[in-house]
Amino acid sequence: MSTSTITVSMTINGQSIGPVQVPETLMMIDFLHEYAHLTGTRLGCGQGLCRACVVILDDDDGHSEEMRTCITGVGYFNGRTLRTIEGHAHRDEHGAITALSPVQQKFLDFYSFQCGYCTPGFVNAATVLIERLQREPISRDQIETVVTDALNDHICRCTGYVRYHQAVKEVILSTPGLLKEDHA
Amino acid sequence: MRIATIAKSVIVLALVAGGVVLSGVLDPDYDTSAVDQTTAPPDQMLLAKGKYLAQAGDCTACHTSKDGAPFAGGVPLPTPFGTLYGTNITPDPEHGIGNWTSADFYKALHDGIAPHGPLYPAMPYTSYRGLSREESDAIFAYLRSVEPVSVPNHENEISFPFNLRFLMRGWNFLFLHDALPITSEGNSAQWVRGQHLVNVLGHCSECHTPRGKLGQLQLGNSLKGGAAEAIHAPDITPAALAQRGWTQKDLVQFLAQGIAPQGSAYGGMYDAFHHSTRHLSETDNQAIAQYLTGDTPRAAVALAPANTAQREGVRAGRNHYLALCAGCHATAGQGKPNVTVALSGNSTIRNPDPHNLLQVMLHGLEAKDFPDHHNRQAMPGFADTMDDAQLAELANYLRVEFGGQTGNVTAEAVGAQR
Repeated sequence: MSTSTITVSMTINGQSIGPVQVPETLMMIDFLHEYAHLTGTRLGCGQGLCRACVVILDDDDGHSEEMRTCITGVGYFNGRTLRTIEGHAHRDEHGAITALSPVQQKFLDFYSFQCGYCTPGFVNAATVLIERLQREPISRDQIETVVTDALNDHICRCTGYVRYHQAVKEVILSTPGLLKEDHA
Repeated sequence: MRIATIAKSVIVLALVAGGVVLSGVLDPDYDTSAVDQTTAPPDQMLLAKGKYLAQAGDCTACHTSKDGAPFAGGVPLPTPFGTLYGTNITPDPEHGIGNWTSADFYKALHDGIAPHGPLYPAMPYTSYRGLSREESDAIFAYLRSVEPVSVPNHENEISFPFNLRFLMRGWNFLFLHDALPITSEGNSAQWVRGQHLVNVLGHCSECHTPRGKLGQLQLGNSLKGGAAEAIHAPDITPAALAQRGWTQKDLVQFLAQGIAPQGSAYGGMYDAFHHSTRHLSETDNQAIAQYLTGDTPRAAVALAPANTAQREGVRAGRNHYLALCAGCHATAGQGKPNVTVALSGNSTIRNPDPHNLLQVMLHGLEAKDFPDHHNRQAMPGFADTMDDAQLAELANYLRVEFGGQTGNVTAEAVGAQR
């Protein structure tokens, strides 16, 4: 019995990938690991609950959103643009990391994680939130609720919620333009 | 001249008769019974029987709000005439039924007339009318034993002229019948018990029978499916159940566990399962299944696999399925235990009417717990992810591949349900 295939191409972390022929039933996380050789995205529950496998999908209109790669078929990403955990830090021409993203840096500063398995998902969720606030600033009294809502679906089994929460709040407070009062 | 006189006489007589009906002078009266005499200690057998009957009657669904005390009321019940609110039926003397007698209670269940006046038929006295006085007394005794809660009743939000409660006496005159129609063939003791559970206590008709413009049950189409809520109550007559693959055994499993090979309870049926059918004895759930399918059930129709030409017609939908659904429902639609139900042979997908399928695809489902630590994971809605044409393509793939149906869902049909 032959396996049906589809041909996909996409842009991941600014790099074009494909066209490449893959099994039509391939889940996106397996494509990232086995075809794009990007292994930073974590397979957790495999049923779309824990959000360790979340990547960022960049829409044509400038919006970004979270997508769960363990339950989303590779075909969904055909022709689309996305970012994984490997795409956040700044790198030099040799690929060496020169600076972490503000979200990554704050997670380190706040000791937000222990084992780190959930961290790629949290980094992507927090980044999507920060990018949304850049478009739609909030008032200071909304920070607590907005951060909770943004991270709420992500599961951490070590410690992390409080320190993840504190770190994201600090990113919001230290990044100009995310609060309405910055625009007053 | 004589014709005009006769016509006038008829009109006057009709007005007088109407006035008499609406005035309440024809309302029946009943005697109190032994349960009005409180005993010490209380009759535990009677209370246990009343509790079981209250569960079979699913009083909780309308009389216990999500964040409220048991039977303290407050559940909003949207109707085409406005929003009604389930009332406080705890023994609180001011807001509940603390000052009612067993006769008052029976009159409310049997005639839709409470001490303060006629009820609206959102209270399913149209079904409960078949309760015996003994059953009514047992439920009354049980409700008198629960914790009284001093919570005022929420004012109904019903527009004129439906806010005139006395008009309900006219509605009762036209639409209140002693018994609801029989929908299957049988005469065994179990079938008779099932008829009582379905048509009376379980008040299944209230959701599963279509309603007319005045909210009356269209009894000629009993149990052929109702559209009162966003998730429609499907046709549960014997032929329709067999067509969707239901057997008595699977129906019993569904009523007791909320999950069967044909799918899991959702929408209003989850509440009916959660508050009512899961508490029923196996014998009673078997009786319900026996009444719904009849003493000699039809054979469940096996799902016919789609042929090559049919599959070719829904290729676009298959791509959507593999991209967005197969991760949880599996490639062949077999589902994953405690994550998702199987789609292959699913009762909603086998329904010729795609309404509920589209509702679930658009708006998703909440996570739900089922007995014995089973559960169903939340399903996201795809209203914002997919456009009408894509959703129609996906619906048609599901119907053809997993439902034995034709792929006749249009983008317009999807748009109409957004």
